[in-house]
Amino acid sequence: MRPETPRSRRERGPKGRAVDDAALADVRALLGTRERRRDLLIEHLHLIQDKYGCLEARHLRALAEEMRLSQAEVYEVASFYDHFDVVKEGEPRPAPVTIRVCESISCMIAGSDELIEKLSAGVDPSKVRVVRAACVGRCAGAPAARVGDREVDNATVEGLLGDLRERRTDAVIPKYTGLAEYRLAGGYQLYEQVRSGSVRIESIIETLQASGLRGLGGAGFPPGKKWQFVRSYKGPRLMSINGDEGEPGTFKDRWFLERDPHRTLEGALIAAHCVEAERIYFYMRNEYPAVLEILRREIAALEAAGIAPRGFIELRRGAGAYICGEESAMIESIEGKRGLPRNRPPYIAEVGIFGRPTLNQNVETLWWIRDILEKGADWFAEQGREGHPGPRSWSVSGRVKKPGVVQAPAGVTVRELINDYCGGMLDGHAFTAYLPGGASGGILPASMGDIPLDFGGELAKIGSFVGSHAVVVFSDRDDVKGAVVNLLKFFRHESCGQCTPCREGTDKMVTLLEAKGALDEAALRDLETVMRDASICGLGQAAPNPVNHLLTLFKKGS
Amino acid sequence: MTEHIVFKLDGKEVAANPGETIWDVAKREGNRIPHLCHVDLPGYRVDGNCRACMVEVKGERVLTASCIRRPTKGMEVSTQSERAAKSRKMVFELLASNMRPRDEGPDNQAAFWKWAESMGIAGSDRYASKFDARDHGHGHHEATHDVSNPAIAVNLDACISCGACVRACREVQVNDVIGMGLRGSHAVPVFDIHDPMGLSTCVTCGECVQACPTGALYEKSLMDKTATQRAVQKFDKVVNTLCPFCGVGCQTSVAVKDNRIVQVDGRNGYANENRLCVKGRFGFDYVASPERLTKPLVRRDDAPRNVDCTKPYAERFDVFREATWEEALARAGAGLKKILDERGGKALSGFGSAKGSNEEAYLFQKLVRTGFETNNVDHCTRLCHASSVAALMEGIGSGAVSAPFNAAMDAECIIVIGARPTVNHPVAATFFKQAAKRGAKLIVMDPRGQDLMRHATHALRFKPGSDVALLNSLLHTIITEELYDADYIREHVSGFEALKAKVKDFSPEAMAEVVGVEASVLRDVARIYATSKASIVFWGMGISQHTHGTDNARCLIALALITGQIGRPGTGLHPLRGQNNVQGASDAGLIPMYFPDYKSVEKLDIRGWYENFWGQTLDPKRGLTVVEIMDAVHAGEITGMYIMGENPAMSDPDQDHARDALAKLEHLVVQDIFLTETAWYADVILPASAHAEKLGTFTNTNRQVQMGRPALALPGDARQDWELIVELARRIGLDWKYRHVSDVYTEMAATMPSLKNISWERIDREDSVIYPAKAPDLPGEEIAFTDGFPTSDGRGKIVPADLLPPDELPDTEFPLVLTTGRLLEHWHTGSMTRRAGVLDAIEPVGIAAMNPRDMHKRGLHQGDRITVETRRGVLEAILRPDREVAEGMVFMPFCFAESPANRLTNPKLDPFGKIPEFKYCAARVEKAREAATAAAG
Repeated sequence: MRPETPRSRRERGPKGRAVDDAALADVRALLGTRERRRDLLIEHLHLIQDKYGCLEARHLRALAEEMRLSQAEVYEVASFYDHFDVVKEGEPRPAPVTIRVCESISCMIAGSDELIEKLSAGVDPSKVRVVRAACVGRCAGAPAARVGDREVDNATVEGLLGDLRERRTDAVIPKYTGLAEYRLAGGYQLYEQVRSGSVRIESIIETLQASGLRGLGGAGFPPGKKWQFVRSYKGPRLMSINGDEGEPGTFKDRWFLERDPHRTLEGALIAAHCVEAERIYFYMRNEYPAVLEILRREIAALEAAGIAPRGFIELRRGAGAYICGEESAMIESIEGKRGLPRNRPPYIAEVGIFGRPTLNQNVETLWWIRDILEKGADWFAEQGREGHPGPRSWSVSGRVKKPGVVQAPAGVTVRELINDYCGGMLDGHAFTAYLPGGASGGILPASMGDIPLDFGGELAKIGSFVGSHAVVVFSDRDDVKGAVVNLLKFFRHESCGQCTPCREGTDKMVTLLEAKGALDEAALRDLETVMRDASICGLGQAAPNPVNHLLTLFKKGS
Repeated sequence: MTEHIVFKLDGKEVAANPGETIWDVAKREGNRIPHLCHVDLPGYRVDGNCRACMVEVKGERVLTASCIRRPTKGMEVSTQSERAAKSRKMVFELLASNMRPRDEGPDNQAAFWKWAESMGIAGSDRYASKFDARDHGHGHHEATHDVSNPAIAVNLDACISCGACVRACREVQVNDVIGMGLRGSHAVPVFDIHDPMGLSTCVTCGECVQACPTGALYEKSLMDKTATQRAVQKFDKVVNTLCPFCGVGCQTSVAVKDNRIVQVDGRNGYANENRLCVKGRFGFDYVASPERLTKPLVRRDDAPRNVDCTKPYAERFDVFREATWEEALARAGAGLKKILDERGGKALSGFGSAKGSNEEAYLFQKLVRTGFETNNVDHCTRLCHASSVAALMEGIGSGAVSAPFNAAMDAECIIVIGARPTVNHPVAATFFKQAAKRGAKLIVMDPRGQDLMRHATHALRFKPGSDVALLNSLLHTIITEELYDADYIREHVSGFEALKAKVKDFSPEAMAEVVGVEASVLRDVARIYATSKASIVFWGMGISQHTHGTDNARCLIALALITGQIGRPGTGLHPLRGQNNVQGASDAGLIPMYFPDYKSVEKLDIRGWYENFWGQTLDPKRGLTVVEIMDAVHAGEITGMYIMGENPAMSDPDQDHARDALAKLEHLVVQDIFLTETAWYADVILPASAHAEKLGTFTNTNRQVQMGRPALALPGDARQDWELIVELARRIGLDWKYRHVSDVYTEMAATMPSLKNISWERIDREDSVIYPAKAPDLPGEEIAFTDGFPTSDGRGKIVPADLLPPDELPDTEFPLVLTTGRLLEHWHTGSMTRRAGVLDAIEPVGIAAMNPRDMHKRGLHQGDRITVETRRGVLEAILRPDREVAEGMVFMPFCFAESPANRLTNPKLDPFGKIPEFKYCAARVEKAREAATAAAG
């Protein structure tokens, strides 16, 4: 039956959009025997988006009916995430193929604007849609793009058009260490020992504490301490793995998972055991189709091998929202909602997923756990500098000869990273400035290139931080203000919009930065103040960092 | 005492109660911290998103939102610090920068502007509006300005994305229409899938308007024609009164300007906690309709008795002429007196109204009993819950609810059967939905689907008419699985053994086919109801309006009695009463078999008491009921009637029969505010008072006696109803002297033990008192029957019920089942709501609804003009596809004069409650000839 369009108000049906039987049948077929739980809403939206290339209103209406949600509950989630395309009645559907070109900072300085412009001119918009994308985590291969699910480094118009012509749109799975290989090298033996009780939980936590391991998602909170906190709250408890690596310039988590995913999974199982978590939610960003496929395969392999019970590790797919890297926003997203950070207290260790005590750890943090427990706390700590224990994985991009993930000690300086790890600056480029910690950590001049990079310390004193260890290197060919505008536009796009300071502050900062004439410093400073002091989460609090540095460290004549 | 949290607030040591936020404590200390997203009203969750209430906590890196932050011991909070003040001010500047200037915005008196003004902020000259950048210029754009809803204007350029409207819609009213769509600076409240408000599932309850701190969502009634700016700046007065519509009895505050109602808000009454529905909030302008009767009318001598009662008001002088009050009252009284003198009281009857006050109801029945000397007095309760009341009186000795609907919040299991509270009792439904959200098991049983089923743990769409089979199968399960409460039965119940024998053959397995619900589901429901700590049952007309309506109610009573799910918090039996004062009118004796408080007219001692109290002999026999009266008119036994505020020409079953009866009367006096279909048959029409113009008490479905106060002056020569009853009484020879409405109340209360300790003054002072009350200074008792029942032996009596099919089953000639009911926007016969601009704009035309699959099978389409026909008659209506209507059924609301569903309904009565079978008759549907063209009418 075709839904009928009323000719007038008098002839309408019951209030609002009627359920269309055909659309309902589509949705039921897609969902199959999957549970209709509310927390699976985003997963279900993905099923529809994947199959139909968009979310038509009739399908959203049908999904609401099927999940016993209201239309608004479905729409507000669908419209929050970049990777969902809501199409209402009478609106055109998106073209069958989407090319996403990253426009974030590393890709911008590598020429993404020009690429997007030329690409858009070179395709038939009815067949191909070119979309500007926030950081896709391939900054070492800038400019990066994605044709369908195929991730492309050092993208060129010709190359992308070639992929299109040849219909190369599927994810490319890199070679990685699978379960069998991992086990051959001793993998999961430690977990077995932990699970059997032959390694005591207390001693695990002690070792982690002694190693100096910090949370490597950006905040640097020591995992051992976190586990103790979580354990102190009454169960049942849950755990999440934060794989929503979205900080511009950061790609280390992808790097680890595309090479050795089981090291993270084993770490996660150990952590879950230690806090007695009943389930692990692995939240992986949708920008990484290859990683998602690897995780699907390897979690299934773990279940098949009897290492993890079926359903114990639940893979959840993000949908294009940087804010979901913020742990409480990620939890909201896991619950199937908009990714809005929560007010704290309470912290998620006490009130997390579904209101339960929750342990949340970053991919890389978990990746180190097996090695630390097997090789000892000292082995780990000694890989750092004096006063900066442990190795760190630096995502280095920008104007260096050999960008990529480099293992270097905590406390290393940017100058060392450039010269000793990344083959120096690109020919013809002179080092002028850098981001020590992605978009949020601020922007520093080359004159500050000898500051030891670590959590807190000297960086903190100048209103900066190392965060996810994403180092973007600028040269004399780059415009610092242009970089700052790019960063602020990123924050404006990624602000969840919940709290006034961040929602309005990021928007108005961009407007003020782009205004003609001299910068209105007082207006910018007032924005900075309210954003730092009054935003709900770290996004709004840190977003003014680059602006602050622009105003203080890059003053003309200073 | 030890639980208090001691902390420092601006240097002063203060104590917080557990759960209190910093904002709460500050408020208690007399410090109102600015707030926008925090709606300081019951039911609103704090969200902490707008950041207008930031305070500084010593030792913390960032500020904290005081509305959501709970203090901890020893915390040092500064609300006054420069840093906190700076952030708060910035928040207001940022938000103001996006808006139009205060006096050009939708509400210059909005909370937002009051707070902004207190900080010296009127806008921003350094931050541009985000709408400027987006829309290239100032003004009102399609994207930000939505006036598609007839009552509410959306001005998104005043929106601060605080989500108060989302919480209002989702958490308080639980209508789930508004969400927050998009992200970042585009984040915006949306209706459904970002639809225009007027095309969405919005039910126009207006809760969002009441919650919005900026006027981004605002009443059109207070705005200019373009609905962009506030136009009404000052009210002449604001009156605390009641909603005139359903039995929920919402308390309202009514704002008046130039003797017109311009705004209605909810008050924090027990029954509504500030909430209202579309009727209560936006259906107020019927009182100012140009069709209000303002002068007495008498029938022209040359007018035929049998007129077309659907004629337009403009043609009234074809049939009537205006008269003075003296002439009209003299004629009205003389006509009645003549019949009384010639034929005796048996030839007279009166229909009172469940819309009038208790005082009016009391006077009306007293007039009929003492003036007409008959018990032929009834009202529309007969058409609503007469069967429920019959079963309740028989079973537990009282016709009132055993617990208020608020008790749902204390229940673990809530059964709603044969009722559509989201449509007919919308504010009561908010309590059910909230309870379900909080984890109560909600079991909804109805042949038609409904909104409430989305919130239900169990939704049983059983076959129409199979109520007894369904309920007996539940009783069977409870008994055979021994889930009943043997102790309770031993203490308080009689008739258990007979029930046991009766339901022996009603196993869910045997009934599944009859009922159309799987046996396992029936068993599950029975177990949940019986074993929950507290279970409560709500029912409506779907139970009562059947020839087996009393049996249906008996089964529900049996469920409660054998499980002991009555008499405790969260348990009970609650027939949802339809009209605002149907409880009160029944209590006041507006029924043929009872004096006030359900005292039988046929009991000698009781009648003796009343004869003594009223000072004359009284009719010793029970009177006739509504439908029986119409039959008696046809039989020539009744020739005179006085009808006050009722519209039997629309509300009675087999309408043509009822209308013929009215036309057959020798003398008919109608007292109303409109020229209703009934009034067209009158000899004399007395223009009377609307709810908004009268003072009096009203009793809601919860047994709350509440004070209604006049907001408006009477229009033209219209007079107060109670005064008109007194005038008529005097003209038929009664010596009545009442100086004030309160005199009537006091006399009435003297006859009613249920109103003991509830004086007029007390109601006026407290606005609402639930009965019974143990003392003048003690609150009334919400939960009745905590220890036995007011029956002769103190026990609840089970009356087993047998399976009885509906009176008229579908056959080849009439293959469909017609069922009738109401729409959210229209009240009863539509005489008020169809004259309310907003309500009639939303539902402007007579419809019949069918399942789209049935339509498809018959080649019918949305909007087609169809004929619906039964053995009683035929009518035309506009066809509406509605998936909630079961296949094989047609649903029609009975409010539309142009498609009067009661022309079709079956007048066959339930033998006990004398209620007609409105919910079931055989019908057929065809496409009307000359379709489409007529649809424009």
